[in-house]
Amino acid sequence: MTLTAGIDVGTGAVKVAVFRIENGKEEWLSRCTLRIRQRDPMQLSREAFDQALEDAGVKESDLDYVATTGEGEAIPFHTGHFYSMTSHARGARFLDPKTVAILDCGALHGRAMITDARGKVTNYKMTSQCASGSGQFLENIARYLGIAQDEIGDLSMQADDPEEVSSICAVLAETDVINMVSRGITSPNILKGIHLSMASRLARLLKSIGVKSDLIMMTGGLALDEGLCEAMREQLAKMKGVDAKVINNPDSIYAGAIGAALWGAFRFDKLAASGTLLKAS
Amino acid sequence: MTKTTSEIVARCEEIYEDLNFTTAREWKAAKEGRKVIGYLPVYIPRELIHAGGMLPLGIMGGGDNLEVIHGDAYYQSYICRIPRSTVELGVSGRMDFVDGMLFPSICDVIRNLSGMWKMLFPDTYSKYFDVPQTYKDEIGGTFYIGEMRELLHDLERIAGRKISDEDIRNSIAVYNENRRLVNELYELRAKVPWQAPASEAYLVIRAGLVLPVEEHSALLREYIDAAKAEERPIKDNSKVVVTGMFCEQPPLNLIKSLELSGCYVVDDDFMLVSRWLIGDVPTDGDPVYNLSQAFLHHSMSTAAKYEPDQEEKGQFLVRSVKETGAEGVIFASTSFCDPALLDRPMLQNVLKAADIPFIAFKYAENSGQMQPIREQAGTFVDSIKLWSAA
Repeated sequence: MTLTAGIDVGTGAVKVAVFRIENGKEEWLSRCTLRIRQRDPMQLSREAFDQALEDAGVKESDLDYVATTGEGEAIPFHTGHFYSMTSHARGARFLDPKTVAILDCGALHGRAMITDARGKVTNYKMTSQCASGSGQFLENIARYLGIAQDEIGDLSMQADDPEEVSSICAVLAETDVINMVSRGITSPNILKGIHLSMASRLARLLKSIGVKSDLIMMTGGLALDEGLCEAMREQLAKMKGVDAKVINNPDSIYAGAIGAALWGAFRFDKLAASGTLLKAS
Repeated sequence: MTKTTSEIVARCEEIYEDLNFTTAREWKAAKEGRKVIGYLPVYIPRELIHAGGMLPLGIMGGGDNLEVIHGDAYYQSYICRIPRSTVELGVSGRMDFVDGMLFPSICDVIRNLSGMWKMLFPDTYSKYFDVPQTYKDEIGGTFYIGEMRELLHDLERIAGRKISDEDIRNSIAVYNENRRLVNELYELRAKVPWQAPASEAYLVIRAGLVLPVEEHSALLREYIDAAKAEERPIKDNSKVVVTGMFCEQPPLNLIKSLELSGCYVVDDDFMLVSRWLIGDVPTDGDPVYNLSQAFLHHSMSTAAKYEPDQEEKGQFLVRSVKETGAEGVIFASTSFCDPALLDRPMLQNVLKAADIPFIAFKYAENSGQMQPIREQAGTFVDSIKLWSAA
């Protein structure tokens, strides 16, 4: 039996997942998410980690491997770190084994990955540094419009005449939104326009890494935004040579933490087999 | 009282960040008539400077804390940064206490810098120090002995005294001890990299470019003993060899970023002057001949050193990987670095043939954006950890 924990330190939240793996069976014991909200991510990681361990009924000393991902490299008690591409791809395949491509949409980045039959990431691309394709941008717009975050998806789906928004620059996009508000454009149409703009960038990323007729799993903080998922489907449908299906999962936000925990278990077994076992530190 | 590694490293970092070279200035001011001779990468026989009672001062550019204003006017914007930041150090008066500058033959850019230095600072001794490209005794050996004799003659003039063979032999012994300690630190890092991280080892060795060698040897001993005594957690990182950083130095943050990305750097070619010569140089007989023999037949290999034997080309990397137990190689070089970039395809072919994974990226001494490097190094480490056969 192998006990592992995965800690995904994102820009907006810290996610922790604890797993027990026995005879190839992967059992998800507990999970914890804490929003960062300008607090110290390292301290929050510790709190989320402790909470997840308590929920799983596991002591820290019982863990065989503590894996970090995202911005978690500096967490002092980790055994090993995995990069977001690697961990999100593994997490997405845990949530749906048929997944081939992964679209990780977080607060700061959008990242598209494609995997081979073994789950190895064979290609990936990220959005550039501009925030106009990110969750942080969407959050800001929701705040300007006086809308709660969990209302965004439903409102976007109610749009009847979406307005086009700049997909190049967050500053230009925000200016567009201010103009729309003053012109009396409804919130659903503004939000749908933003979703379509974001989806257009993300769809181009997916195409550029070679996605054709594959199953795409949305992960990260925006994965549960149904408005964005729907916009992704619409934008991909417009692309020539692409016939992909976009899905999400209620636990999509945990994909990074799940992937880290599962790769941690894999790594623990590999080290044990080679006689170079590390102790979770 | 025994110092901890963090105390020792903090002092080294202070020296590293001090672009006014206060430690060297204080050494010079402590006694009337003392002289300081600066040198650029990659290799200078520091023994000759030391034998004249002078302080060899390694100038590795301005790093990421120096704003280059004047230096940009002297070189094209697309080349490496070290010549521009070195000009900046000079024209801003930060090197006004330096009595001479040596520019070893590493590339055309540094050769041009030696000429510029002569024009910019006509009252300061400056020399383009040509090291041999041919490793035969009767050709490169004869040439190199002549070059060192000429340098000695100039150094005697600056020192105001004769430099005897006995002086040089004594200095060789002092530097032998220093090289032994540097090598001991490299061996310790290769064996237990979590005990002596690359970012710390870098700072400790870098301090030796400014401190008197005797003081640096004591510092190395102190750090090695402290690193061995401290218990630090082991991480599931991958051991890698870093190559191509022999001239313009990486910012400290780059080394730290590689470590944060999951790399244990177990071998590198930073500041090669500290370990260019392999093993002890004999302390009997003709010291200049001994230094030339060491250079020709017992010196490090890098992309910056001509390798006439095509079978041997790049094998130094394969050996380094095997000896340190590394799992991959990271090629890093600065923009337009002829020595590193022209050899890179050949070295990569050697690694491919030996089935050793590698990646490559560019950097500058003032690189500030580490995210792309972290992503690249991190995914490289992931691929080694998860998909390698071992």
